[in-house]
Amino acid sequence: MAMGKTDAVERARRDLAKRLGVSENDIEQESVEEADFPDMALGAPVEDEMSGQMISSGWRIRLRAKGGTHEYRADRNQVRLYDFEGVNYRL
Amino acid sequence: MNRQNFLGHLALALTLILLAAFVGQMRRWQKGHVAPSSGERAVAERVEELRPAREQREASEVIVRFRPGTTPAQIERVTERLGDRVEDIYENVKGYAAIRDGDGLDAQVVADQYLTQAEVEFAEPNFQIEAYPEIPSGAHDALNQPPATGPNDPLLGEQWALINSGQREGKTNADISAMQAWLQKSTGSEGVVVAVLDSGVDYTHPDLLNNIWIRPASVAPYTDEQLGTIEDEHGYNAVDNNGDPMDDNGHGTHCAGIIGAEGNNSLGISGVNWKVQIMPLKFMNAGGSGTTKDAIEAINYVIERKKAGVNVRIISASWGSTMRSSGLEDAIRKAGEAGILFVAAAGNSSVSNDRTPHYPSSYPLPNVVSVAALDRRDTLASFSNYGPKSVHIAAPGKEILSTWLDNEFKEASGTSMATPVVAGVAALVLSVEEKLTVEELRERLLKSVDPIDSLQGKIQTGGRINAARALGVAPRAKAATVAPAFDDNN
Repeated sequence: MAMGKTDAVERARRDLAKRLGVSENDIEQESVEEADFPDMALGAPVEDEMSGQMISSGWRIRLRAKGGTHEYRADRNQVRLYDFEGVNYRL
Repeated sequence: MNRQNFLGHLALALTLILLAAFVGQMRRWQKGHVAPSSGERAVAERVEELRPAREQREASEVIVRFRPGTTPAQIERVTERLGDRVEDIYENVKGYAAIRDGDGLDAQVVADQYLTQAEVEFAEPNFQIEAYPEIPSGAHDALNQPPATGPNDPLLGEQWALINSGQREGKTNADISAMQAWLQKSTGSEGVVVAVLDSGVDYTHPDLLNNIWIRPASVAPYTDEQLGTIEDEHGYNAVDNNGDPMDDNGHGTHCAGIIGAEGNNSLGISGVNWKVQIMPLKFMNAGGSGTTKDAIEAINYVIERKKAGVNVRIISASWGSTMRSSGLEDAIRKAGEAGILFVAAAGNSSVSNDRTPHYPSSYPLPNVVSVAALDRRDTLASFSNYGPKSVHIAAPGKEILSTWLDNEFKEASGTSMATPVVAGVAALVLSVEEKLTVEELRERLLKSVDPIDSLQGKIQTGGRINAARALGVAPRAKAATVAPAFDDNN
């Protein structure tokens, strides 16, 4: 089922709260902007993942918590955490 | 006039006649054809055949894409409001309509009028499709006639990759010379099978339906030791290990349309091949991603089908990552040994693959062709990877219109879109030279480019694929070079 921007942000906040062990209330939404990503893995491929090389439109979501900023990338089909301590995650 | 004057005038007239005849003969010699060959006559006849259709389109006509949800009645109302009439609402191309001007205005002015309407998403003149105007010396005079229309696919005017007439600020002739290839040599063949290794293909799309591979009765269902027997009527699904490669993403359907949307069927677009067999393979999921394991499974399937007698000669692979896999490399090598060309996307990270390889396009194998993307002005697309050693050829890959899910058509950008253009040209070549080896086919493609200044030193051949050159109906460019050997330095 296609996902909207609000849903994507909510999923990202939930994920980050869990990862950092903080309350969702402690997460600040720094920015949410429309973005074009280089491929269908939104430029954030996970291990052993091949993706279609088509420019994909979605949202870049930046969340702030515990003094650091974390970038999520989302489109209508997926949410990904980009470069979290050097690793990409698909939610 | 006295007798002496009369003889003088007669001598002068005879001299002039002889001189005129001599000059005429010289011009014919210079043109290289004293009498038209049968091939030239055929082209002339084809142009004459197409001319009436062209003349019918001379009144201003625009193609308009209305916003999703706009009903035919609303389209009629908008059109009436502007004093025009609906020529056609394309049943299978949602939101598109052809509209004829009723005010005697220039087509661009009419398009601009529509762009101001709230219901309209996009509008542009229905461009005349010109036959390739850059005719090589000694070629067909017939094509120097006023431009002919192409096949009757209504959205052909949007397909700048095939025929770039400068539409939407494009550069005229920054295309693959499809029209010349079609009119002078081949529109494809049902005898050539191209595997689209992707998210599957919507094999029910009306513009693909007739060009989808169907396993012949003479070929047994696919049997794998681990997977058992699979009823592969239309191809293979490596995600679910079954015989239904239906696309649930759209990416694979888009790539398939570029290679072989049915041409001249009065519907939608035309593929590089009007006729071909697309073998749908699914290894990427609904999100457009897949695993190396599933890619290998699907390549193995293609090799097995080839061994079983299916004439599958090309795999089109519009995907990749920076992760190298020996297993995937081996599978692609085996495909090459089976006579299968592997055309792969160079990637969309705006980096040099010589420094940061992108796989599978960077595997140094003799059956791999790595493809960069160009925009409609013949410029390397800003997203496209490049690499003078490891990226071989460029093809149109930005704002490419093709087939999509739900019987729709959609524009998309990426080296994903450039890859099937090259795979499609390879299929066109095989439609007339079926005995070419994979090495010969690869070399033919790489030697059939239009050199582009900005690509020199950026990619190996320094040029854009040209279908007419690949088919031998336009002279090869001198600048096209192909590295003679394949090793890790290539």
